[in-house]
Amino acid sequence: MFQSLKNIVRKSSIHVCIVNCGGCNGCDVELVALFSPRYDIEQYGIYIHNNPREADVLLITGAVTEQWIHNIKRVYSKVPEPKIVVCVGNCPISGDVFNQEGGTVHAPVSNFIPVAAEISGCPPRPSEILNAILSTGPGAISNRGRERK
Amino acid sequence: MSSVIWYLYEFGRKVWVKGFFNGKTSKEIMEKPDRFRDFPKVLKKNCIGCGACTSSCPSPNAIKLIRDMDDKDHHGITYPVINKGACIRCGFCAEICPSEPKTLECGENHFITEKFNIVPSKRKFIVDDFLCIVCGKCRDACNVNAIEEINNRFRVNEKKCVACGDCLKSCPVKGAMKGIFINNLEEQKTIIKLIVDRLESFIENKKEELDKLDNLSLVKIQYPLSELWDEIIAILPDEEVAYEVTENAINRLKIRVMTWNEDNCKLCKLCVDECPTGAITYNEEDNRVKHDKNKCLRCSYCYQTCPFGVVKYFVVKFLVENNEENNNDKDINEIVKNKVIGITIKTSPLSAYLSD
Repeated sequence: MFQSLKNIVRKSSIHVCIVNCGGCNGCDVELVALFSPRYDIEQYGIYIHNNPREADVLLITGAVTEQWIHNIKRVYSKVPEPKIVVCVGNCPISGDVFNQEGGTVHAPVSNFIPVAAEISGCPPRPSEILNAILSTGPGAISNRGRERK
Repeated sequence: MSSVIWYLYEFGRKVWVKGFFNGKTSKEIMEKPDRFRDFPKVLKKNCIGCGACTSSCPSPNAIKLIRDMDDKDHHGITYPVINKGACIRCGFCAEICPSEPKTLECGENHFITEKFNIVPSKRKFIVDDFLCIVCGKCRDACNVNAIEEINNRFRVNEKKCVACGDCLKSCPVKGAMKGIFINNLEEQKTIIKLIVDRLESFIENKKEELDKLDNLSLVKIQYPLSELWDEIIAILPDEEVAYEVTENAINRLKIRVMTWNEDNCKLCKLCVDECPTGAITYNEEDNRVKHDKNKCLRCSYCYQTCPFGVVKYFVVKFLVENNEENNNDKDINEIVKNKVIGITIKTSPLSAYLSD
């Protein structure tokens, strides 16, 4: 009873933290467009925080650079359970154009932390990001919440 | 007063009231507009397998050319596959695609009729007019009609060329169609100079075998390519380019080697005046005739003049051959280990007249 009540609450309000682990900022700009009145992400009960301790969902952009290998795990460990990670853009998925021969990019992110959903595009449209968060976010969070630790 | 009327008018509108009570983003905003350049669409059956899309792609993992399995009746078709996790939707692949109709469709830019070339290729294709036999096979092989005939001579149009290399394969004359590397000409010169110097000193050190040589026989010796390879790579780090430059240079190389045997010299000084560059000098202090290798033109005047056989003159040709027969390695470093330079030495054709 208490668990299902928690699930309902989790589904309707998702707290998101954006982490750029070494990208070009293109995806971050598209994420900023989501807060604008045109797309208005808060109407769906999604709130942005700069602090991972307040977040349910980590939105990761950027192809992991050397300094971020350690920090990405630290940030991930600070997010309270249940938590999910969503990759925004191609960089965290494959390294994209930065993953050249002889480059020092450590993509994909899934080598370091578990990833629940991936949004491809360079950058993805704000509507694509919104669709992905809404379709995977609430379900994934409540599912993670039911896991027995 | 007028502002109050304006407020009443503004907030009384149907759109505003609707938006105020039901604050959702409208559907049209969420849909992609028609002009949006989405991931490329692949039409398998149009593909000619030239690989222009893969070489124009700025992202390393985005496009792969794939070939289906062969079945009994048909060969499997070749076609590009887009990895959405790496594609940046730039549309270069669709713009460059030379097939008619297009194999790749992405956005609307590729419908522009004026074509331009954005293939970042290391090679530049050139027809050698001196060797070309004007057979037209390269023109027929070219999928993008980049080879044009002007005044009965063929020319590669760089604006159309996609650097696929089909013309190179179809050309029946070795060297008539050239795919030259244009980015590092200075390094290529240094490599050729290094090869010539090394091989020349190697041959001059084989005195015993050279002495035995008469004007009917040949001497064949071998020199492993791997001994030169480290220095070549130090000059030009791109292995693929370095190997091709080395192989082409060695196969085309024909050098004349002079040996100078001072023991036979009787100090007649005939050769000193004959030498056109002053490479041969007489030194009064230690009473010797000296030959300066760096000034020498290898013209063979001294060889023809000398009555005592001090100078010997050889013509040498080279060929890169396999050391072992079964050579399936794909790594260039492995290939180089198995290669040797076959050296064929014979005396100059002049020797037949001189010995009579």
